[in-house]
Amino acid sequence: MSTLKRRAMMLTAIAGVAAIALTGCGRGGGTTPDETGGAAAASPGITDDSLLFGISTPLTGATAGPGNCTADGAIAYFETKNAEGGIEFGDGKTRTIEIKKYDDEYNPEKSAANFQQMVADGVFAAGIGLGTPTNRAWREAAIEEGVPQVLVMTGDPLFNDRTESPLQLGLVPIYQQEGAAFGEVLAADSEPHKVAILYQNDDYGLGYVEGFKEAIEGADNIEIVGELSYEPSAPSLEGQITELSATDADVLFHAVSVVPRAIENMQKAQALGWLPSWFLPSNTASPGGVLTPGGAVKADGSLVYPGIYAVAFSQAAASPAFQESPEGQAYLAAVEEYTDNDGISFPHCVWSWIGAQILEQAFMAMEEPTRESFMDALMSIEGFEAQFLLPGGAINTTTDGLPAVQDVVLQSFNGKGYADAESFGG
Amino acid sequence: MASLIRLLESTRARAVAMIVIAAVLIVVPLVSQPFTNQTITRIAVFAVAVLGLNIVMGYAGQVSLGQIFFVGVGAYAAAITIRSEWATALGFWGVVVGFVLAVLIPGVIGLLISLAAARLRGLAIAMVTIALPIVGVPLAKRLSELTGGSQGISARAFGAPEWTGLDNDQWQYYVVVTIAAIAFALAYFLVRGKYGRAFAIVKENEAVASSMGISPYRYKVLAFTIASMFGGLAGFLYIAALQFTSPDTLSFGHSIELVIATIVGGAGSIVGSVLGGIYYVLVPQITNTVNPNSTAIVQGIIVLVVLFVLPGGLVSLPRAIRRALRRGRGPDGPPPPAPAMASSPRDNEERQNS
Repeated sequence: MSTLKRRAMMLTAIAGVAAIALTGCGRGGGTTPDETGGAAAASPGITDDSLLFGISTPLTGATAGPGNCTADGAIAYFETKNAEGGIEFGDGKTRTIEIKKYDDEYNPEKSAANFQQMVADGVFAAGIGLGTPTNRAWREAAIEEGVPQVLVMTGDPLFNDRTESPLQLGLVPIYQQEGAAFGEVLAADSEPHKVAILYQNDDYGLGYVEGFKEAIEGADNIEIVGELSYEPSAPSLEGQITELSATDADVLFHAVSVVPRAIENMQKAQALGWLPSWFLPSNTASPGGVLTPGGAVKADGSLVYPGIYAVAFSQAAASPAFQESPEGQAYLAAVEEYTDNDGISFPHCVWSWIGAQILEQAFMAMEEPTRESFMDALMSIEGFEAQFLLPGGAINTTTDGLPAVQDVVLQSFNGKGYADAESFGG
Repeated sequence: MASLIRLLESTRARAVAMIVIAAVLIVVPLVSQPFTNQTITRIAVFAVAVLGLNIVMGYAGQVSLGQIFFVGVGAYAAAITIRSEWATALGFWGVVVGFVLAVLIPGVIGLLISLAAARLRGLAIAMVTIALPIVGVPLAKRLSELTGGSQGISARAFGAPEWTGLDNDQWQYYVVVTIAAIAFALAYFLVRGKYGRAFAIVKENEAVASSMGISPYRYKVLAFTIASMFGGLAGFLYIAALQFTSPDTLSFGHSIELVIATIVGGAGSIVGSVLGGIYYVLVPQITNTVNPNSTAIVQGIIVLVVLFVLPGGLVSLPRAIRRALRRGRGPDGPPPPAPAMASSPRDNEERQNS
């Protein structure tokens, strides 16, 4: 390496460091709430006419599909509200809501960095983003900084523990809720049932099983006759299905999150001549994605298996009923106008729209422009019938240990789509 | 005599430059916004990971696609130690134990793997290293009692001690940047000395190395082991900077991102490692402010532009500019040096004009 080159490099390095330092433009330049005085001094990110909300979620990479939806639903909702003039807050002022999205590529390191960037950008609150590790990566930092991290899309119960996570709240049902919804219906049935359980050996599968077992505890009509686990990376579960088929169970609790495995298992059980009723988690229950390729529907439209059950809490944007309703049309028009999304391919777009409605409720109730007032308002929502929840469902943020969506509905597959299931076999 | 004076001058110039850089790095956190400090801290973390990769790829010429595995193992070793009851009881020394384990464990794993893998060449060694993150992610999920499973674990032991009077971001900056600076100094002396020369010969031609009494196998194992230890060190710094890790940290895609950062910064260059770290951290940050959906495409464009225009990485930018300037001066200036990378004068001209 020549001396000249070395010097040039040194200069580059010095210039680089100096440039980074200059962008800092002095420490402690901003006004902190303490300096402005007064009991109701505004938190960062909120002015008399606007509020900044940050969403860190996977916008590129393998999870980009659902990730973009988690941002786009809320963007569509608030842009519509902004176009109407804004939202009237509990303190009487009308504010527009600015959503700023950050790409974390489903990488916890990036989401933690995004949080630091959000603080620098002065967000009032953050959340709605997708992913368990990516949200966990900045949970404690958010608590330290006093930034609310709300309505996150993860089934991880930690975000609903009010003691551990005072500034957090989950949006979507936790895995335990889904498992419990099925367990309750099964326990209420008059017939005796033999249940086989296949679960993924991580927080996902264990969560489902935990919820199910709690719900059937003490039910005399239910006997668990077989219970097997698998690793998420397993290339095939045929061995497990074969072993479980030997138990001759009439119900299979199928806590499997990998779509190709779910399809294969459905084919394998038929091939073995084992025809139980299936319980499927919401992310591997798609009629087009799992049930049809799995051969669960005969040519005449009837089911191969006696029953297929799954849990839902929101309406599907792909259904004709949704697309014909005025709310559904408004939703699709807003998504079309303000985002590049179609709003249909992933349910997360609708979930994000529901999350935005919950935020709006909190905004309308917060009496001071502070994060404390926002958290108080957010944690006091009861019986809010948000758009696109299933009939009878309501938002409730007041129960420790549960996310904003607490009502889940067991549905059964009828050969074309899912319909509410009042009882097992019903 | 004249050459001795030149040497002294260059040494002095280098010393002055080093002192200036050190002074700037010491003062920066005291006057900058927290986000600036946090950004430089993260750059230091990934610069060390890229530095390790540079030793095995840039200097010793072996393809390693598994560097993130060692970063992840180091991060887990640090986090698990620091979280444990006995380490908490030990306080500062518990963190020191975490530091030692975070470097040692990846080093031992790297040594064991390279003992087998260094017998292979080219694509075969790349295949072995690909396997590391692919095995690492499910392993980290499987050992959930130790690693916290797919949800990840946090280890928060890097708040600023009260006696320092510093904020957390300043304290983390000083811890991470100091350790990273020491790592860079060690790497500098390593690649300047006899090991660096041996790596270069092994990279150039293994047969020649053997004929000179340099065992390519031993030096490949050595380079791989050192790279693993730097990876583990980066893992410790990762915990110091972010205080959280999860199986996704080890994923194969991030390993490729590190390789890309090495190439963009400049393979076989210490300064290039810093530039690689800057690229790795700053590009997503900048795309976030412009268009957060464009991260991947912007990274792709940068990689292509660098590969076509600056095959030596960003570190070769001053040389390229100097060459362009000389050519611009025409016949009055000194004659242009022989093109290093261009295959024809026309290619060369096109590169410089672009």
